[in-house]
Amino acid sequence: MSRIIPTVLGSYPRPPWFREYLRKVEGLQKEGGRVIDEATYAKAVGEVIREQRDAGIKLFTDGQLLWHDLLCHLATKIDGFEMNGLIRYFDNNLYYRIPRVKAKLERRRSIVVDEFRVAYSIEHEMKTVLTCFTLASLSEDEFYHDKSELVMDIAHIMNQEAKELVRNGAKYIQIDEPSLLYAEKEDMNVMKDAIEVIRRGVDAKFFLVTYFRDAERIFPEVLDFNVDVIGLDFVEGYEKNFELLREYDMDKEVQAGVVDGRTTKMEDKEQVKQKIRAIHDAVNGETLYVSPNTGLEFLPYIKASEKLKVLCNSVGDIQ
Amino acid sequence: MNNRKLLPTTVVGSYPKPNWLRRLIREYEKGEISNKIMRRAYDDAVKAVVKEQELAGVDILWDGEMRRDEMISYFARRIEGFTIYGEVRVWGNNYYPKPAIIDELRYRDELAVSDYKFLRRITDHEIKIPITGPYTLVDWSFNEYYRTREEAVYALAEVINQELRRLADAGASYIQIDDPAIPTHPEEIEVAKNSIEIVTREVDAYIGIHICYGDYSKIYPEILEFNVDQIDLEFANRNFKDIGIFKDYEFTKDLGFGCVDVHTRRIESVEEIKDNIRKAFSIVKPERVYVDPDCGLKLLSSEVAFKKLRNMCQAAREIREELKG
Repeated sequence: MSRIIPTVLGSYPRPPWFREYLRKVEGLQKEGGRVIDEATYAKAVGEVIREQRDAGIKLFTDGQLLWHDLLCHLATKIDGFEMNGLIRYFDNNLYYRIPRVKAKLERRRSIVVDEFRVAYSIEHEMKTVLTCFTLASLSEDEFYHDKSELVMDIAHIMNQEAKELVRNGAKYIQIDEPSLLYAEKEDMNVMKDAIEVIRRGVDAKFFLVTYFRDAERIFPEVLDFNVDVIGLDFVEGYEKNFELLREYDMDKEVQAGVVDGRTTKMEDKEQVKQKIRAIHDAVNGETLYVSPNTGLEFLPYIKASEKLKVLCNSVGDIQ
Repeated sequence: MNNRKLLPTTVVGSYPKPNWLRRLIREYEKGEISNKIMRRAYDDAVKAVVKEQELAGVDILWDGEMRRDEMISYFARRIEGFTIYGEVRVWGNNYYPKPAIIDELRYRDELAVSDYKFLRRITDHEIKIPITGPYTLVDWSFNEYYRTREEAVYALAEVINQELRRLADAGASYIQIDDPAIPTHPEEIEVAKNSIEIVTREVDAYIGIHICYGDYSKIYPEILEFNVDQIDLEFANRNFKDIGIFKDYEFTKDLGFGCVDVHTRRIESVEEIKDNIRKAFSIVKPERVYVDPDCGLKLLSSEVAFKKLRNMCQAAREIREELKG
């Protein structure tokens, strides 16, 4: 039976009290150290999971509440990276610290497993976010001087992480790859192999998720990637992505970003409904995940749940 | 405006608020102290910060933005058509109250005129007034009202232009438009450029534009076409790697040269800053260089901010002497 499953991308705004807490324990500067009290963290995660659940979300994330950006949270836990200056994250008013590759990358400790455990103890239907190609692309490589080697070493690290996540109960792993939408064709070959590496021996459902623009550059190659779900942005790239869906025979499920995660303007429910219907038809009624097109960290806390309600109410009317 | 000394030192805008002021602001927000006392507290804080800048040796100064919480919402709260739902992240643990445009944008309260007038009374130094540009204000706000960003930017540019004219009428001679969002959307550089045309229309003052972060290669050389006298950029944060970007075309404006990193507590030595300043001369001749930190200093402690400024001013002084030599 076909289903439409409302989900989220990854990030959720930190609850205001937790934001203040982190500001206190970590400070504001590049040098910030970190000793986070687990019970405090669990309380915050519990809140954002409850917000998602109350809105009607069926497949959750932990909101990536400790992540300062998509890259440094991973890079600071991988040996071989050093962190450099700040730079803008795509076209957002959001900055990330540039990871710099100084030595062979190695995973000497788990990266997000501790966070996953906390979230999993609250909710089992939990997606965990990792990235590979984007981390490689947005880093400054001073060691490998060969992008495919860098991508493959990160893939091996993500594979080790994914294995440990699954041992701890994970069933869904989402690889976020906004940079893939800027990839060259040869990058696509590398990434195809990288996905094989990441998946090896990992029994979980894999999502490969893109956002911030349409996915024209990665079609049709991405259809050969060994993932179960492909995430596409139907806000920024609606028309082009819709064409792609109709043009190519998808043998994968789709996660469609149908409401704009970067604006407080709330979409008209009828329009979202139409959009979801059209996409659902285009994937021949296969299981369809629907979500905001981006993580929700771009919104004020009170607007994130409002946005999710627009999404979930639209779905509720269809089913 | 060209009778300034060689390598004038200046600040980008913000300075750390004294701890006592932060505490008073918290109490004020809880309604525990009156407007009058709060206003005096701000005045005292400005006096203290101006003195600090003078002691550090800064030539062209500002009031440290003691009265501003930050560079977006402070203005949005004073312009008709904005509302604020809550805070969003800028980076790491740094957040700001992100405004949303929910109605037509119109001039309501003055933005910096009385701040300027107060400062004029308490210092003989030249004053620079930083005001966030309309392009950045729109880019860093949600737009629920205007059909396009462009429309919102131009509407806001008219509002900011009114303020700049009032400032110039009040005697302001140097105004800095803070527009760090411009490199975000290089495809919209025409919109940004037009917005600066509107903002500076009939404004009789020396105009700088400050752009921090972002990829400068995407806006250079186009930025030279903007109707400004000076372009102020950060260089220390990325270890002066960006200098090469500016060598392919003749830099035809004055250059505000960010030579001290505001995102690290490390205090650069005078020698190190001197080396940094000299790097500017590969872009423009020394006569066109203004020396300043990368950005506002508000994220540092007062002690660190002061030491950074003091070393920066000393470095500028020593190079100035050498050049005269």
